[in-house]
Amino acid sequence: MRGLSGFKRETVVALLTAVVISGIWLAKSQTEGRAQQPQNSRSPIPRTANGKPDFSGIWQANNGANWDLLTHSPRPMLGQPGMYPDVAVLAAPVVALGAVGWVPPDLGVVEGNEIPYQPWAAKRKQENLANWLDRDPEVWCYKPGVPRAMYMPYKFQIIQGTAKVMMVFEYAGAERTIHLDQVDPYPADAYMGHAVGHWEGDTLVTDVSSFTSQTWLDRSGDFHSDALHVVERYTPITRDAFRYEATIEDNKVFTRPWKISMPIYRRLEPNAQLMEFRCQEMAEETVLGHLRKNQLVKRWEGKTMRVDVTRKLPSGDAVYERHVDGNPPATR
Amino acid sequence: MLVLARSVLLRAAIARARTGRGVSLRSPYRLFIVLTIVFALASQFGTGVQGQSIQRGAPAAKQLRTPWGEPDLQGIWNGETLTPLERPARFANRPVLTPEETAKLEADVAGRQGRDQRAARGTEKDVAGAYNQIFAQRGTRLADGRTSLIIDPSDGKIPPLTPEAQKRLSAVREYMEALLQGTSGGRPGPPSPRRNEPPPAYNVDRMNRADGPEDRSLMERCLAGTLPKLDAHYRIVQSPGQVGITVDWGQGSGFVRTIPVDGSKHLPSNIRFWKGDARGRWEGDTLVVDITNFSHKTEFRGSRQNLHLVERFKRVSENRLEYTVTVDDATTWTRPWTFMVPWERESDKANQIYESGCHEGNYGLLGMLANTRAAEKLFKQGKGRDPRTMDLATGGDIGGGIERDR
Repeated sequence: MRGLSGFKRETVVALLTAVVISGIWLAKSQTEGRAQQPQNSRSPIPRTANGKPDFSGIWQANNGANWDLLTHSPRPMLGQPGMYPDVAVLAAPVVALGAVGWVPPDLGVVEGNEIPYQPWAAKRKQENLANWLDRDPEVWCYKPGVPRAMYMPYKFQIIQGTAKVMMVFEYAGAERTIHLDQVDPYPADAYMGHAVGHWEGDTLVTDVSSFTSQTWLDRSGDFHSDALHVVERYTPITRDAFRYEATIEDNKVFTRPWKISMPIYRRLEPNAQLMEFRCQEMAEETVLGHLRKNQLVKRWEGKTMRVDVTRKLPSGDAVYERHVDGNPPATR
Repeated sequence: MLVLARSVLLRAAIARARTGRGVSLRSPYRLFIVLTIVFALASQFGTGVQGQSIQRGAPAAKQLRTPWGEPDLQGIWNGETLTPLERPARFANRPVLTPEETAKLEADVAGRQGRDQRAARGTEKDVAGAYNQIFAQRGTRLADGRTSLIIDPSDGKIPPLTPEAQKRLSAVREYMEALLQGTSGGRPGPPSPRRNEPPPAYNVDRMNRADGPEDRSLMERCLAGTLPKLDAHYRIVQSPGQVGITVDWGQGSGFVRTIPVDGSKHLPSNIRFWKGDARGRWEGDTLVVDITNFSHKTEFRGSRQNLHLVERFKRVSENRLEYTVTVDDATTWTRPWTFMVPWERESDKANQIYESGCHEGNYGLLGMLANTRAAEKLFKQGKGRDPRTMDLATGGDIGGGIERDR
């Protein structure tokens, strides 16, 4: 700086100081911004030792898919025609619930917003919807099946091991394992199916089969048969979200394969963990209450409303016939 | 090989039962056919006990670590054993038998008629014993020739109950006996008025009443997935800081556990789980899991919500994992006690871990309640026996191992 006058030297020093300070300030604010927004899309995706995305963690979908895969307005959980034939009001089993008894609205998750049912199956779906409380396996705490388990309003945990990806669901303590290694075919049907997986770049692709005809896809009566075949794709979006896609194929029920897609989010609470929702016992009063020697549930009485309960149910084994399996009716 | 074939067939049969089709009602013939094949195989070729294990090899240390450096416990493990939890009186002071004694004893038990023998047909005991030894999922071999799984105290026995626990358990026993009064399985007398009382503690066992679902055992309600769980198959999957265990047990009564191994603390004591609240840590190569916060609806040998378990999982070789559990509850036992079960690795490829479908196929619980209501109705019409004089709680034969001579 020998050639510079004192004024110029001071100017250069001031400029350099300003640049350094603003640089530090900029870097600091960026760091703070990241810390405050861990889901920032530029955060690196967690990876395993072999460089693949690590999906381990506690996750939960945040959408209306478990109520209805398709785009839907609010509607009574269980309704009946009111004063106007086309305007439903709450039906008896949920009448005390008021606004809580209405299905929250949401956009659908089905590509094209259409489920391509065969004619018999489209009719069955409508029957299922009308008889939702009688027929939905979720009401009885049955295992949710795939893909429904992935978007139920409960947390689930992924434990990504070296050769297996284990998924544990808070609802009913359901579990599924995705085999990344070679395993023999599953010798039976399974509610949660039998899944083998492989990587396509950063996407975990699974092939799921060996299903029962007993699980549903949502609370709107959408269903499948034992011919169900699901191909899932798990693709990281950010550190804390992945895109979940499932192609659903079932030649007994649908006319063509169809696809659902949604983001699934990490539960960011630092102490997030699965709790226990062992719902078998919770469903006992619904399923078996009519077989008690002394009936327990006869009446509910609040300050403004009284609901009297009369159960008239088929006896014995016929109770199970309230469920309708997803296979087509025999054609003979 | 033969035992392996039998095991495959049997587990396939069990898997069918677990698919919810209700083996007992909808497809009894299928089970019958499989069992027939099983027994045909067993009788034709004898009941050798060899061949079920994977050959033990000297493991390379590297294979026993996960890529992130933790001991690798992953895989499918078989924890079934013929060795009972407590040492039978006839083996007092004999903690370990000689290989010859072991082989003879194992062959004795395997060859017993009791493994599929029925009580006199048409009796209440016959009905109660519909599930026989085949369903007990108990192993065919002693654990290293041992006569008890308990390693502390050294007599292989559960320590004495505290006076408090004795009182608690005898209250339950007296109630159970009262419900059996006047039946073939109980003391003589008219039906006890205690039938109208609730049990002294949340019911977990077979009880001679079926007024509602809570009167039936946790097993019958598909709620028996509690800890610690012996005689099961386990699949362990690990990720950094988490361990998952699928427990395949009891004809589809299996369940799944997730264990944080991340330094987190137990939940507040007002949160109670059927499986308790588990927190793990590594002590050297051993996974140590501390479990508290059990529900009062669970039961292990008389202990309820105050049960405290410390599990230790140590993989000692490629194909052997030692599962050691210290059981403690100062309100139940006069001292803590410890048992150890050797687990044997099974083939990942054969993948013999099956989904539990107990609840989905539980026609049995419904049947027990419906049948009791029907019997009450008939009795009222003067057409049948008083159901209160029938024994629906004793009988069956799913506990017999080396505890008895024959």
